[in-house]
Amino acid sequence: MKFLLLSALVFNLSFASVVDEYLSSLKEEILKQNPNFKGFDAKRGEKIFTSKHVGKRGKQISCTSCHGINLSASNENLFTGKTIEALSPKVNPKRFTKIKTIKKWMRRNFNDVYNRQGTALEKGDVTTYIINQ
Amino acid sequence: MKYLLFLAFCISFVFADSYYKKNSGVAPVTNQLYINECGSCHFAYQPGLLPSNAWEKMMSDLSKHFNTDASIDDEDFKLLSKYLDDNSAEKNMHYKRSNRIVSSIKSGQIPNSISETPYMIRKHDEIRKDLITQKEVKGLFNCMACHKTANKGIYSERDILIPNFGKWDD
Repeated sequence: MKFLLLSALVFNLSFASVVDEYLSSLKEEILKQNPNFKGFDAKRGEKIFTSKHVGKRGKQISCTSCHGINLSASNENLFTGKTIEALSPKVNPKRFTKIKTIKKWMRRNFNDVYNRQGTALEKGDVTTYIINQ
Repeated sequence: MKYLLFLAFCISFVFADSYYKKNSGVAPVTNQLYINECGSCHFAYQPGLLPSNAWEKMMSDLSKHFNTDASIDDEDFKLLSKYLDDNSAEKNMHYKRSNRIVSSIKSGQIPNSISETPYMIRKHDEIRKDLITQKEVKGLFNCMACHKTANKGIYSERDILIPNFGKWDD
């Protein structure tokens, strides 16, 4: 039991450190341009995640087209039919545990949905939204 | 006696052949990086479903991979390219499906996808179009929608179950 608690604690810390590290590197980037930056906002993140845009395929889609509205549940890739496991780290502890993976999906998915790269502010906002879902 | 021996010899070949074919779809995927990277968006197609020049073509611009950004970093790119090349169809000719796919491609042709190989087109041409495009399947790319053992590299007829249609009997 003690071991379980300890590993749960270590796991929590490691999750927090990875996502915090990611957010603080984005924050640093923003502060260079905007010294008055206050912090990331889940509400803005929600809009980024749920609003529709003409993506790479010339079709109106949003992040929810593949991830669904309920981030605690798995969903289906709109184009391939492949199951995508829940995005919320609260129910899927594998999420947001590797900087390399976070950066990879931010790059790919902004391109697919917005047909451009996300700004540091957008990436921070949408991350804040997802991890609080 | 000689005749009997000869007959036994011939029969053993017939059995060996059918046994071999029955157990030879395509070599299953073994590489975890490949399963994680390529299999996160779609079915992790066995490398033995395309020759190496087609895999190379497919990997040449992953930022526009079937109109999706599937870009990866250099290190993973090298590892995945090597895995595909080492296990491509022409290196797996002892597997029935790899053999048929390679044999169906005209010399000088490099297919853009598995579904575009002449063998795959021929094998699927009797299926009603609406069964392929229906939402439970979406397209030929979704092997697992009908081939229930595709993840094991087995594409035999008895393991086919088409949504809203049922078993496939040729």
